[in-house]
Amino acid sequence: MASKKINKKDIAKLLSQWSQEFTVFVPSTEDGVATMAKWNGKDTSFLDWYRNTVIPPKANILPAMEEMFSFQKSKEGYHIELPPTNGHKQLIFGIRPCDAKALAILDMTFKEAYEDPYYLSKRDNMVLIGLGCTNPYDSCFCTSLDISPAESTDVDLMLTDIGDELLIEMVTKAGKELIAKAKGLKEATKADDARAKKAKEAAYQKVSRKIDTEGVGDKLSACFDNQDYWEKAAAKCVSCGICTFLCPTCYCFDINDELVKQQGTRFRSWDSCAFPLYTKMPMENPRLEKWRRVRQKVCHKFEFYSMDFSVIACTGCGRCIRLCPVNWDITQTLNNLPEKTR
Amino acid sequence: MTGVTDISHRKKFFARGNVYLPHIVVIDKIIDETPDTRTFHFNFKDEKPGKEFAFEPGQFAEFSIFGIGEAPFVISSSPTRSGHLEFTPRRVGRLTNALHRLGTGAEIGFRGPYGNGFPLDFLQNKNLIFIGGGIGLAPLRSLIWNVMDNRNKYKKIDIIYGARSPADLCFKYDLEAWDKDKTVNMVTTVDKGDEAWTGRVGLVPKVLEEVAPSAKDAVAIVCGPPIMIRFTFPVLEKLGFTPEQMITTLEKRMKCGIGKCGRCNIGNIYVCRDGPVFSYEQIKSFISSEY
Repeated sequence: MASKKINKKDIAKLLSQWSQEFTVFVPSTEDGVATMAKWNGKDTSFLDWYRNTVIPPKANILPAMEEMFSFQKSKEGYHIELPPTNGHKQLIFGIRPCDAKALAILDMTFKEAYEDPYYLSKRDNMVLIGLGCTNPYDSCFCTSLDISPAESTDVDLMLTDIGDELLIEMVTKAGKELIAKAKGLKEATKADDARAKKAKEAAYQKVSRKIDTEGVGDKLSACFDNQDYWEKAAAKCVSCGICTFLCPTCYCFDINDELVKQQGTRFRSWDSCAFPLYTKMPMENPRLEKWRRVRQKVCHKFEFYSMDFSVIACTGCGRCIRLCPVNWDITQTLNNLPEKTR
Repeated sequence: MTGVTDISHRKKFFARGNVYLPHIVVIDKIIDETPDTRTFHFNFKDEKPGKEFAFEPGQFAEFSIFGIGEAPFVISSSPTRSGHLEFTPRRVGRLTNALHRLGTGAEIGFRGPYGNGFPLDFLQNKNLIFIGGGIGLAPLRSLIWNVMDNRNKYKKIDIIYGARSPADLCFKYDLEAWDKDKTVNMVTTVDKGDEAWTGRVGLVPKVLEEVAPSAKDAVAIVCGPPIMIRFTFPVLEKLGFTPEQMITTLEKRMKCGIGKCGRCNIGNIYVCRDGPVFSYEQIKSFISSEY
């Protein structure tokens, strides 16, 4: 199907139409932090200020904290109840290609072997409207991970900024259905397609930071026991965990209970390999030292994950670089891997 | 074993959907094993899951006290002994302290079984040497009773079990039973005896060296504290055991039990998903030395 286009002024109308069927999420600021939040029904100013969210869209599927079930004690014993499902379908408008790829990567873990019902119930009821990057950050390195900042096959529709209008490309069947129902769209011309192509190429060229992923798993494997290197690489890390919380592909979680007067909930929350408690056992801790934890983070993404799923668990979104309080830079760690094994 | 383990045969029990939802089980008997270790006998509260439940020796489950939290423990009873299930937590942390305060009739959460369990097919028609230390007998005893209840499928059986002191010996009633069994060579030892102790004194690896079981057609299954395992493997190698003939269980902090929450990894191996039972051959092939 040929591409469509929409004037930026008409985006609110389109989002309103979609709001009939979906809970629409758009780039917004909550308490000064950019995130994908529920659309307020009118504001589309994000088209001007949005580069990427601070909190990645994974939070819409794997929230920072989520109730798994509640439990209550009575004379008959414990009774367990699942949280109510609102049955809402989510529409995420404006997701960047790096973050859409991240969700495809997360799917592998949550679909593998035992299916994760909390993740999949949301993921299976979600449509993604991608919006190509035109102004990547200097911390971005998506092109090194085979991601183009303005192209994606991990979304249902892909939008490209072509001036006063957005070009709309249909990627999936769900995307085609959305467009078939949508009102107020125009057919894109050949000139529009050409402008979009140019915009995509320009965005691609703007991503200047690079890592060398060629054989990176083998290189990491070779220097796994090089304690000296990892101690240096981890030296300035303060183990705050923000790089993992804000990473679009980090998914590690903790499970805990909360109890108030015989009524409680079991919930899961984001956890992080940056914390020593994460692996602490009563008698020992395999990753007590900071360098071991930094090594785990890097190796999990660039070595271990691809052993299981044949994909690197990093999309080059750059959040871990630009949001790190001490300017730790994963690209430096990866680009200076030593050949020395010890 | 690298990559994803095929667990399709185990997924049946979770057909109802949510793997994180625990069943309610009821504690119906408590046995003091040592000053800090108790065995809990339990049964499913509901009839249906109780009937459907099946596991293999060496598999574990997530046990929880509602309001306190969840932790993994091996099922210490044998699948060949139906009627109830058992687990044997040592009192070391918040949850295990709370477990030890429970009485009979208490309801706890239970989800599982998880993990691979011992390779029963591989063990058949072999001489088996069980080497255990302290609470490490919990997974071994599930397997030992399984073997005892199918005695003709296996050949010679040696059990070498040690604890720090006579008071720290777990499952004394089992040790007695195996000692009386003429088809088993049961060797019990303690690191340090007391006035009443007339048995053997010596660390498990040392005693293993003295017992010196033959490596021919044999498999050694080793469970105990990491320090014991570290000193036992070299003795086995000296006795002629190859890494394939040495089996152990690994322990890591776990939460989900199903390879998702992240923390129990050793390289790309998740102990909960790919283990907890590994051969020394497999352990040597791990790309990470974090075991």
